[in-house]
Amino acid sequence: MAFCTVFYLTFLGDGVPSDLPIAVVDLDNSSTSRNFVRQLDATQLGRVVRYADYSSARAALQSGKVTSVCVIPEGFNRNIQSQRQPSVGIYVNGLYFLGGSLGWKDLLTMVNLTSGAVQREVLQMKGVPDSEIMGLLRPIDVDVHQIGNPTMNYGAYLANMMIPGMLQMVVIIVLIYSLGAELKYGTSRHLLDSVENDIHVAVLGKTILYTVLFTLIGWTVELILYKWMHFPLAGSLWQMLLACFLLVIAAESVAILIIGCVPVCRFALSIGALYSVLGLSLTGFTLPVEVMPAGLRGLTMMYPLRHYYAMYVQVGIFGSDFGQWYVYVLALLAFCFLPLPVMRRLGNAYRNLNYERN
Amino acid sequence: MKTNYVKAWFQDALGIFNHELKNILQDGGVMIIFVVAGFLYPILYNFVYKNGILEETPIAVVDDAACADSRRLIREMDATREISIERRCTDMEEAKDLFQKRKVNGIIYFPSDFGDRLAARETATFSIYADMSSFLYYKNLLMGSEFVMLHEINAIKVERMRLDGLTDAQADASVRAVRYEDVNPYNRAFSYSIFLISAILLLIIQQVMFYGMSMSVGTMREENRSFASLPDTYTGHGVGRVVLGRGAVYWLIFMIIGIYVACIVPALFGFPQRGRFSDIFLLLTIFVTVCVFFSMTWTTLVTRRESAFLLFLFMSPICVFLTGFSWPTTAFPGFWKVFSWLFPSTFGCQAFINLNTAGAGLEVVVPQLQALCLQGAIYFILACGAIYVENFVLKYRAASQKD
Repeated sequence: MAFCTVFYLTFLGDGVPSDLPIAVVDLDNSSTSRNFVRQLDATQLGRVVRYADYSSARAALQSGKVTSVCVIPEGFNRNIQSQRQPSVGIYVNGLYFLGGSLGWKDLLTMVNLTSGAVQREVLQMKGVPDSEIMGLLRPIDVDVHQIGNPTMNYGAYLANMMIPGMLQMVVIIVLIYSLGAELKYGTSRHLLDSVENDIHVAVLGKTILYTVLFTLIGWTVELILYKWMHFPLAGSLWQMLLACFLLVIAAESVAILIIGCVPVCRFALSIGALYSVLGLSLTGFTLPVEVMPAGLRGLTMMYPLRHYYAMYVQVGIFGSDFGQWYVYVLALLAFCFLPLPVMRRLGNAYRNLNYERN
Repeated sequence: MKTNYVKAWFQDALGIFNHELKNILQDGGVMIIFVVAGFLYPILYNFVYKNGILEETPIAVVDDAACADSRRLIREMDATREISIERRCTDMEEAKDLFQKRKVNGIIYFPSDFGDRLAARETATFSIYADMSSFLYYKNLLMGSEFVMLHEINAIKVERMRLDGLTDAQADASVRAVRYEDVNPYNRAFSYSIFLISAILLLIIQQVMFYGMSMSVGTMREENRSFASLPDTYTGHGVGRVVLGRGAVYWLIFMIIGIYVACIVPALFGFPQRGRFSDIFLLLTIFVTVCVFFSMTWTTLVTRRESAFLLFLFMSPICVFLTGFSWPTTAFPGFWKVFSWLFPSTFGCQAFINLNTAGAGLEVVVPQLQALCLQGAIYFILACGAIYVENFVLKYRAASQKD
């Protein structure tokens, strides 16, 4: 868990990539094209890598070495001066999602700026005063507000859900193992004897310990995220700590359900692993749930992380009040009823040890 | 003598091969992992990400300007693939409320001076508010509104220049002094599924093999039949036989799963397959071989049947990021870059993306194949070494118990 936290927090660096290699094939080699390349290189995002011809740049694009290629045609400068509208070629490898789309955006911006620069020159020559030029060059502008992540920090976006996702995974696996190991090593009878044969007390006792442990781990992580790394959080931290606690107990309930249904340690672990790995995708924080096929949308409700995410959106992004997110608290609490129907079965397995041990 | 050695080698390897195959087939847990995870997971993931493109993100509009221009912009935005104008609100409060209740994933706001400023030839600004809970909402809102805006800007400029007495062609030439053509050949619409699925298919092979093998190894260790035990007749040597004999079993099983995962699954889901089969087969052969040695080396650490899940399950998502499919490899911090070289998936997935989805020829993926071969050689030596050491320890332990 600590390893994961360190990974997701350090892997993405400062959350916004910089010095992304962008290939440029400059067939013109004029002052205008060189200026274009220099300015592209100077953008925060881009770092220009020069290629002599298109085919070598294309090979680099295909291999993912660069995620976007810009071809400046021959006669670029001459054609601009004579208003013959030269065309810049932009090639993007969309298989590298982030790199591709960012490089594409950077190149489009540069081309539009170049057009703007040429127009400004023309307008200046015609004697239009500088104060009016801006309005003429850019009649409409857009003011973008990113609610909940104003710096577009990819690291914050990812860590906010990947780390709780890992927590869900670890809780499920560890608890299944802990309950299953009693069966595997035949110590469950001893455990039952010590609590006067009450399976509820036995499971509850084991679970309380893990609840405290995992909640503390989860809280530590959230403190790191929101207090130390200062990831944006619109609502109160206490609400997120509550969500984390609920996530832990909901995930534990799922674990008990799994081991209760299949009281064989290794099968339960395999099922738990298959279930929790898929949970990261089904939460819908990367590909939103509404895009998934209808049948799967219901399935996403089966994951505590999904409700945690919904609650995070309300608390962390919108800073809503209780009325908006109490539903998710109830949903997470509802998971706690899951173990009830299988308790008897688990109790019998604990007492009789009548399942395969391995 | 020489032929005898070779013959004995093959006989032993074959014996080990048979033994291991029987072991795997009789072990329910391992078979569950191989069959369920190996065959079902690729299908499940394809199913989850089947529609990779988010379209028509619901947006609320607050139009305080209420002029012809703002109405035209709204109509055009509604017409884009990315945006669907679901609600028209009278004020920001109402829109914010819808936003919070998640009825819409963004707000577009036209201030009351929008039309006046346009008429006065000043810069008129509108605002967009994007829900950052998923980057795709933001991307859609931004792309949809920017396309419309750029288009409108050009139209307005041309219109004004015509009023100033320029011809259409002159106006266009000055407005769009530089044109561009953008081509996104491999993933035309930035589909989420195409980029994600191509990255994880090979990773599934590596992870499934690793978990399966560690389960089988862990069981043997629990029952005191070590994976490492050499035939008693050869003291000290015979490591190669064990590694290759056992490896061959996994290799065979995973070549079958591999062809299924890398060739049949994409075809089932109508996923782009631009590579040549022979190239992909070659990649698979190398990749699966490296995975076998990789798993053998790391399973040395596994002492119990279940410990692989406890110890390594969390590595799967991390490996996905290490392939560099989402966060660009060039932006990796140095330590993680070196760390990613530990996993065959890092090179395998990159090569697969390039070969299968970008349709590259073999010459483009030579660096990745070289890296895989080097990795294979190192892991082979490590696997042999691990087995040799473990065998030595086991013998020593057995000897000391006898005394």
